[in-house]
Amino acid sequence: MTKTILKAATGLIVLAALLVVPRYVESPYALHMMILLFLSVSQGQSWNILGGYAGQHSVGHAAYFGVGAYTTMMLMHAKQVVPWVGVWAGVAIVVVVALVIGSICFRLRGPYFVLASIAVAEIMRLSAINLTTLTNGAEGILATEIPAFKIGERVVTDFLTKVPFYYIGLVLALLTIAITYWVQHSKLGYYFQAIREDQDAAHSLGIHITVYKNIGLVISAVLTSLAGAFYGIYVGFVDPPTVLGLDVSVQIMLICIIGGMGTLWGPVLGSLILVPLSEALRSNMITEGLVKIGLVSADSRIGLFLKENLAHAHVLLYGILVVLVILFMPEGLMGFVKKMAARRNREAV
Amino acid sequence: MAVFLQSLISGILIGGVYALIGIGLTLIFGVMRVVNFAHGDIMMVGMYLTYLLFTLMGIDPFVSVLISFPLMFFFGGFLQKVFINRVLNAVSQNQILLTIGLGLIMSNTVMLIFTSDYKILTTSYSSSTIQVGGGVSISAPLLISFLITAAITGALGWFLLKTDTGQAIRATAQDRDAAQLMGINVSRMSVIAFGLGAALAGTAGALISPTYYIFPQVGGTFTLKAFVITVLGGMGSVVGATLGGILIGVTESMSAVYISSGWKDVVVFVLFLLVLLFKPSGLMGKSRT
Repeated sequence: MTKTILKAATGLIVLAALLVVPRYVESPYALHMMILLFLSVSQGQSWNILGGYAGQHSVGHAAYFGVGAYTTMMLMHAKQVVPWVGVWAGVAIVVVVALVIGSICFRLRGPYFVLASIAVAEIMRLSAINLTTLTNGAEGILATEIPAFKIGERVVTDFLTKVPFYYIGLVLALLTIAITYWVQHSKLGYYFQAIREDQDAAHSLGIHITVYKNIGLVISAVLTSLAGAFYGIYVGFVDPPTVLGLDVSVQIMLICIIGGMGTLWGPVLGSLILVPLSEALRSNMITEGLVKIGLVSADSRIGLFLKENLAHAHVLLYGILVVLVILFMPEGLMGFVKKMAARRNREAV
Repeated sequence: MAVFLQSLISGILIGGVYALIGIGLTLIFGVMRVVNFAHGDIMMVGMYLTYLLFTLMGIDPFVSVLISFPLMFFFGGFLQKVFINRVLNAVSQNQILLTIGLGLIMSNTVMLIFTSDYKILTTSYSSSTIQVGGGVSISAPLLISFLITAAITGALGWFLLKTDTGQAIRATAQDRDAAQLMGINVSRMSVIAFGLGAALAGTAGALISPTYYIFPQVGGTFTLKAFVITVLGGMGSVVGATLGGILIGVTESMSAVYISSGWKDVVVFVLFLLVLLFKPSGLMGKSRT
């Protein structure tokens, strides 16, 4: 009982703190990091619903992320449609895409499902490259300014600073966490887990497997497309490799795998680790750090090499992390923490 | 008609190299039931190895197969022993993720060393063609690589059918536990199978390097293509992979001519989804895993 109260209190304090951050933090960089963190949480959590709870490990989530991002950006770019409206067009398309993909892929199991999901995402990526009139091809779409959202004459959001993005990102992250919590505690979630643990047993208990897998996919895909739309608008640029590439799908999964699949806080934990790490690499913080402590001189060959290449090394880091986690912590960090806690409890008794 | 024949022939020739990639993958899957998502990246490593041997030591890409085959064999054996072996009994998504991770490490390490620029390996015969008549011509490097592929496939067939080790590998692929009980060193067969798979992928990389751009991310498409080929042929079937490779090669070159080169991969992947949908066991396969 006291534990529940303690948990609720911690949650409220963290939430209150998150709500007031933009009031006191003016550094755009700090806000940027927080926005990336929110984005990562919502991506990871969306994947978690299908991959973690229902056990369907899609390696093609870039398809939904990219369709969400592209639709919103295309409508904004070509027709000046406000993102608040464009997003829903993206969601509608993603629902259709997800149902088509689901009806093809969910007849398949294991590696076949994974392969099909990758193939679908690749078809999307190649289509985005080839449908030049629609998507601007390999060049991508650059949005220089976002139309302000107005109701009548009143401007609701102007997107001139990072603050609106901060709150939208926060809402998106909280929404995905809430939906995951709901899934975890609802009949739907129990069905998902039954399918994950033993599909045949679940089937023999009368659970309509294909229907529930499709429900999981649609929820997961819609949330992923919202994250994609948010990403597109925030960065202001989409092109085939950055929103539809295999790296994107792997990155989305990785958030979950590192944190722990099928747990509520896994994706949050995964984001807290991955986002700062990849930003540190991307922004050359590590090279600067090495220069500062005197290990490498800034204009030496090694220094220049690191400066030039480390920025691209975050995918390498993802690769190393995946391998390490799979080999040493197959249940992710949450699993590791739980195991440690269980051991401590046993020892205490 | 000439256009049709032309694209059919080049499809078959490039299909031979695809078959080599597919056979490697199917061998690994057959023996270990592990889906190797790093397969295309292993091929990419083979391409860079060939590129290095060519630029540093002037060794012809087709001759360098003699060096890259054994080197890639040891590379594959190393990967199996150090990484794959630990997840042989894990759930399949962990195996998939591990190999995806290994692939990312390979492609991004190569990117750190060689940057992401496209490299081209130009030999004296890179663009030479042989006139067959009727307006049809054959690209010389494609023809040579097809002949080498055929020789390697033949040798592999002989190895798997006639040698003791080959038979032990096939026995392991058929039933791992039974093979173990019969005194076959299953873990050694796994190392050999993975080594062979990597060597075949690396060789395929060497063979296409005179006709293909070399860049660190080249593996991704090939991994997927290798899967399309093996699924098409029935996972685990060497003959199926050969047929699947040629089928994909022909489909690709036909759709490049009659649709557009930008959409040729899309055609291949759509074909793949259709096969999964209507005949998931593949053209040669019987059971479904």
